[in-house]
Amino acid sequence: MAAPIEHRIRWSGLIIALGLIVQSCTLFWTHPLSFMAFLLIGCPLVAAGILLYLYSLASHHHPSGAESEAPR
Amino acid sequence: MNNTAPILIFFTSIVILLAILTAVRAELTRARGGKILAFVTLAILPLLAVWAGVHEQLERSTSTRFCLSCHVMHDFGESLSLDDKAYIPAVHYQNNFVPRDHACFTCHTDYTMFGDYRAKWRGMHHVWVEYFGKIPQPADIKLYTPYNNRECLHCHAGARKYEEASSHHKNPDMLAQAASNKLSCLTADCHDSIHDVANLKGNTFWKESN
Repeated sequence: MAAPIEHRIRWSGLIIALGLIVQSCTLFWTHPLSFMAFLLIGCPLVAAGILLYLYSLASHHHPSGAESEAPR
Repeated sequence: MNNTAPILIFFTSIVILLAILTAVRAELTRARGGKILAFVTLAILPLLAVWAGVHEQLERSTSTRFCLSCHVMHDFGESLSLDDKAYIPAVHYQNNFVPRDHACFTCHTDYTMFGDYRAKWRGMHHVWVEYFGKIPQPADIKLYTPYNNRECLHCHAGARKYEEASSHHKNPDMLAQAASNKLSCLTADCHDSIHDVANLKGNTFWKESN
């Protein structure tokens, strides 16, 4: 079974990929709606993915870290 | 699509593939190399792609094609091709006094610190009105504030033709008044033939050669 950090990294990668796919699609069309889609869908998705990844790093407790703190 | 768009699409595609790879093979991040790869793929490269995308989108939003893509702006675009030498927007457009592919933006963005961003914010409101609001008739569309001479003088100030024109010396302090925006360049009997979209019918139009 995947560790929680891997689960979050998986979601993070998928969300970032989705945001970047939206961004790529908007580049094929010069129109205000394309600009809005980029700004309101693409950018927030990528930002959410990056934040989720950073959160997964910050909230991760490494098992070896716990061992090193234990009395020898 | 301009020249940079294909490069950006290619770069973004690579980042998408790497992000998907990291998502599918998340167990790779257990190793040190995988951790570095994940950091580059899920933080550095997406930020770079978005930064480049923002730059590209902002650049596109200054194009004439972008501004005229809303139906309500059609007549304003047509007024740029009016065959009338007294017609200020048409003269500027047809003689390349403003870059044709950035014609609207050149004259209608405040040359101030946040002029660009204010224009974008208003533009987003325009999109909202276009799809969810009550679309005004082209002739009813007015500027938010009276046109500021600053936008004209950004190019004309200091130009010999502007400073020596006899019509600009009808009063001794005319240029000073124009510079301080006390006397509008668009005053009646001066340069008052602007986008008169209500009276376009029956006029002749200049055809741009390809």
